[in-house]
Amino acid sequence: MNIKEIKEMINLMNENNLSELEVEKEGFKIRLKKGYEGSIEKVVERVAPKIPPITPGPQVSGGEAAASVASKTIETKSPMVGTFYRAPSSDAPPFVEVGDEINVGQVVCIIEAMKLMNEIKSDVKGKVAAILVENADPVEFGQTLFLIEPL
Amino acid sequence: MFTKILIANRGEIALRIIRACREMGIKTVAVYSEADVNSTHVKLADEAVCIGEAQSAKSYLNIPAIISAAEITDVEAIHPGYGFLAEDAHFAEICESCNIKFIGPSPESMRLMGNKLAAKNTVKRVGLPVVPGSDKIIKTKEEALQIAKRLRYPVIIKAAAGGGGRGMRICHNDVRLISALLTAQREAEAAFGNSDVYIEKYIEQPRHIEIQILGDSRGHIIHLGERDCTIQRRHQKLIEESPSPAVNEKLRKKMGELAVKAAKSVHYANAGTIEFLLDKNGDFYFMEMNTRIQVEHPVTEMVTGLDLIKEQINIATGKKLAIKQENVRLNGWAIEARIYAEDPDNDFMPSPGKIIEYKAPGGRGVRIDTDVHAGYEISPYYDSMIGKLITYGKSRREVLDIMRRALDEFTIGPIKTTIPFLKNIFNNPLFIKGDISTDFISRLDEEKEL
Repeated sequence: MNIKEIKEMINLMNENNLSELEVEKEGFKIRLKKGYEGSIEKVVERVAPKIPPITPGPQVSGGEAAASVASKTIETKSPMVGTFYRAPSSDAPPFVEVGDEINVGQVVCIIEAMKLMNEIKSDVKGKVAAILVENADPVEFGQTLFLIEPL
Repeated sequence: MFTKILIANRGEIALRIIRACREMGIKTVAVYSEADVNSTHVKLADEAVCIGEAQSAKSYLNIPAIISAAEITDVEAIHPGYGFLAEDAHFAEICESCNIKFIGPSPESMRLMGNKLAAKNTVKRVGLPVVPGSDKIIKTKEEALQIAKRLRYPVIIKAAAGGGGRGMRICHNDVRLISALLTAQREAEAAFGNSDVYIEKYIEQPRHIEIQILGDSRGHIIHLGERDCTIQRRHQKLIEESPSPAVNEKLRKKMGELAVKAAKSVHYANAGTIEFLLDKNGDFYFMEMNTRIQVEHPVTEMVTGLDLIKEQINIATGKKLAIKQENVRLNGWAIEARIYAEDPDNDFMPSPGKIIEYKAPGGRGVRIDTDVHAGYEISPYYDSMIGKLITYGKSRREVLDIMRRALDEFTIGPIKTTIPFLKNIFNNPLFIKGDISTDFISRLDEEKEL
């Protein structure tokens, strides 16, 4: 699959007012999903701070106190570079909140990269102890997004 | 002028580009793999984004990660350095479609010159002498034998999509040709994903002379003289100098004009290099064009007084080339020795690990382009070149004196480096005389074994 084919798919979606399109071809599968119709908060307006390398401990953010997190907490790390979104679209509720119990394979967030929304799934079963990034924050590879207490 | 540039590279070239940007007041974004988290270029950039695991395919060759990093940091341009994605037309195209300026030539000219065989045919049409050879891909042993008969041995099999010595085989007879064809095709497939090979006459004991060109986006192209890169080991450059002891003003003008013609034939913009082979009789042949800034660019910088990275950035903003051909002068002499973290006493086995002792030379006429330092951990994932030692002065003789003095001062340990090997070369009477060809190193090895 090349850029040209992907562009054609996007045009197809726009022309037919589709919000989701999934194509499977020669062992390659791609799903394009429209969200944030015109309401994507352009990350470009924020000056992205110097993102420090993988930090060993949790960062306190947005009121989520991480002080009493158990030592066997598992870090959910970002597998890619992009923009972090907590919900599937701007008017939908977030995938997870602190305190939620999640299962293996459950979608916990979306990371947008090159205008494609990638659903990030949890690979552990547990309870969300902390959410370390805020909606629309830029994230880098390996950055800790969630702290999960395994169950 | 750009406000912010992302450097899609690592090591000494990433540092080089960041330095130029800082001098120009341009903000910089470094991208790095997990292995490079403590790198100098990461520390010196204004912003840094981790893009993936250590393996190049997952980080420095990871186009989506790099483009994402460019988007979240809102850069206007990407400088690809050399190697990695620098000559990846697909990457340049993606940058274009994401409205990010790729600091380099257009994808079209990259494609045209990237295919070695197509490049030869293109420049032949504008009058450049080319190495005699097959003008198409050789697929069967019958075709190979036929062409070898026409060219006469020795011949060389080369990968059409390749470089760096891979997919290359020198053949002196039919038997060797037949077996070499298959292995060259396999090697090319493995290294470049393309098994296409072609055959050329093998020019014996040539000098490798390359011409630096600079072109703006309006079609003005100039050349900045030559670099002599004859000293190579297994087709990898070790030492480069400018000017070349084998090139006089007349030859320089001739080669330079043809190089500019070749670049114009593909509407080339930004920095590029045309490589020629110069034989014993003073005849030269086009070999290939490199559509990127080269490792050895400092040597041209020292003799022309220009900052080639700044010129690249200026060209990318659409500015007209300020330098006129008649104002280009090669003043004095410069020579560069590449330092590799390899053990010359152990068949140049890579020598990664932590640098404990690092004492770099200094003083008049010495320039060091490196990002390593004491405490730096050389990882095994990337190219083993750790730095470049450049010396410059009024004459070749002075430059060699400074180089010998600088190499004596240079201490790197406990990892092994090629510094002792370089010392031998710079003390070699033939090299000092300037009487060399591309088999210099292999001959040195042979002498050692005697």
